[in-house]
Amino acid sequence: MISDIVNVIFCLGNCVLLVNLRRMRLEKCWFCSSTVYPGHGIQFVRNDAKIFHFCRSKCHKNFKMKRNPRKVKWTKAYRRLHGKDMTQDSTFEFERKRNRPERYDRNLAENTLKAIKKIDKIRSDRASDHIKNRLKTGKVQRQKEARKQLELGIHLVKAPLALAQDSSLCLPKIKVNVSQAQTEENQPMEE
Amino acid sequence: MIQPQTHLNVADNSRTRELMCIRVIEAMIKEAIPNTPLERLEVIRAVIVYTRKELKCDNGMIIRYDDNATVVIDQEGNSKGTRIFGAIARELRQLNFTKIVLLAPEVL
Repeated sequence: MISDIVNVIFCLGNCVLLVNLRRMRLEKCWFCSSTVYPGHGIQFVRNDAKIFHFCRSKCHKNFKMKRNPRKVKWTKAYRRLHGKDMTQDSTFEFERKRNRPERYDRNLAENTLKAIKKIDKIRSDRASDHIKNRLKTGKVQRQKEARKQLELGIHLVKAPLALAQDSSLCLPKIKVNVSQAQTEENQPMEE
Repeated sequence: MIQPQTHLNVADNSRTRELMCIRVIEAMIKEAIPNTPLERLEVIRAVIVYTRKELKCDNGMIIRYDDNATVVIDQEGNSKGTRIFGAIARELRQLNFTKIVLLAPEVL
């Protein structure tokens, strides 16, 4: 998304300096798919001129070990392949690689920066929703199991004798019905 | 690390296939005067364009290639071949090897 700044001409009095500014592009690490910022990581050029970018030596070393990122659990490639992370979304369209350099336009640059922030927020919200939804079924299951375990193992929490004596210590599910009609009936009998 | 006696591949279509470095002239991407054991035993000049050892660029980028390769040049620094294979680092332009950079299919 960052445009290439190719040539900037400075005029210093009589002499004209042609400064070749470096291209700055945020690459994706080939192994883990995180962004590689300038000054970080290593680029490896294979003999067939394919270029691999790595964000840090961890990824680089894994590559040298000939590991397949699709099988390594912490990489984005694995997570996308196994449905852990969001794969298809319209916000991904914004981040396509464009090779045509854009002429610098102040308004365009400003709007792009604003858009980047917004799109980023939308994308991360959608991604976290995706994960939340994925984990929802597990959460329900776990709550069910927890409730069952509590019912079965209530004697570990509170002694059964104490539970019988003090009705206030009962579980919310086990209801002790103390209705008025019953006590009135009972009283004459107890006396 | 390229040293004298290092065997280097050639990344252009000049007639040489393999070179042996006998003397190294400058630093960074070095200019080496190699010997050509396979095709002819002649001392010619070549520019090292790929190194297995990482190369640090001005902008902090570090590039590493899969092998050590050179491009055969003449005394002025123009390449002898007409085609160059593979991506070339940008540093070559700074070192006045513009012809090589122009011929390269991709510049890093």
